[in-house]
Amino acid sequence: MAETEPGLPQRSTAAGFGRVLVVVYAIFAVAATARSVLQIATRFDEAPLAYALSAVAAVVYVVATVALARGDRTSRRVAVVAISVELVGVLTVGALSLLDLTAFPAASVWSGFGSGYGFVPLVLPFVGLWWLWRTRPGER
Amino acid sequence: MTGPYATAVIVVSLLLCVGALVLLVADKSPSTGAWILLGVLELMIVVFAVGGVVQLVGADHDVPAWEFVGYLAGLVAIVPAAAWWVRDERSRAAAAVLVVVLLVVPFLVLRVQQVWAGTGG
Repeated sequence: MAETEPGLPQRSTAAGFGRVLVVVYAIFAVAATARSVLQIATRFDEAPLAYALSAVAAVVYVVATVALARGDRTSRRVAVVAISVELVGVLTVGALSLLDLTAFPAASVWSGFGSGYGFVPLVLPFVGLWWLWRTRPGER
Repeated sequence: MTGPYATAVIVVSLLLCVGALVLLVADKSPSTGAWILLGVLELMIVVFAVGGVVQLVGADHDVPAWEFVGYLAGLVAIVPAAAWWVRDERSRAAAAVLVVVLLVVPFLVLRVQQVWAGTGG
């Protein structure tokens, strides 16, 4: 099976549309990390579960950003895992936050399926996985 | 923090965003002139951030300082970071990145104002 050489610009997850995707991921990485650090440092006892989840979300966004920006073979696998976790996370937290508003105050990026962020957190993992599939090596 | 200067930053950013959108549709990458205009915006942002910190020091009401400074720092960093990220990009993707970033700048200015006023989460 003929693999395309790595490093071909149009195959990289960071080129073309990937440039934009990485920026959106980076913005969420920075925002989620900053917010999470602030929450844990200043008021962790208020809602430990929600704030711990915030931290998880932040890590997922950071890993996905770096993996998409690097775009080599290993990074691609890392990106698939990170974005899959992101997808499961936003769906689970979104569903749970609808069921029980007290356990998840509107504090996590994933609460209400990311409604506080224009539902971008809900759409982003689908776009990310689609992009990884589009740029997969070995495609004609 | 809510004066005409903040509004000016938002307006300039949105105007440049429209410009970037035109580049995106026309399938062009930003010209030297576009980068100079972005430099002007960045200068305005730096002045806004410095003014913000000065006002924070002399604030007559409680402002969550870390959150406030954090948003200002993000605001200062975002345009240069985006410029660095698309430095070698010769396709319209560079313009697309600018569209996103130039939408985030007004959003951040509004968040800075909310944090200053103590409204919003």
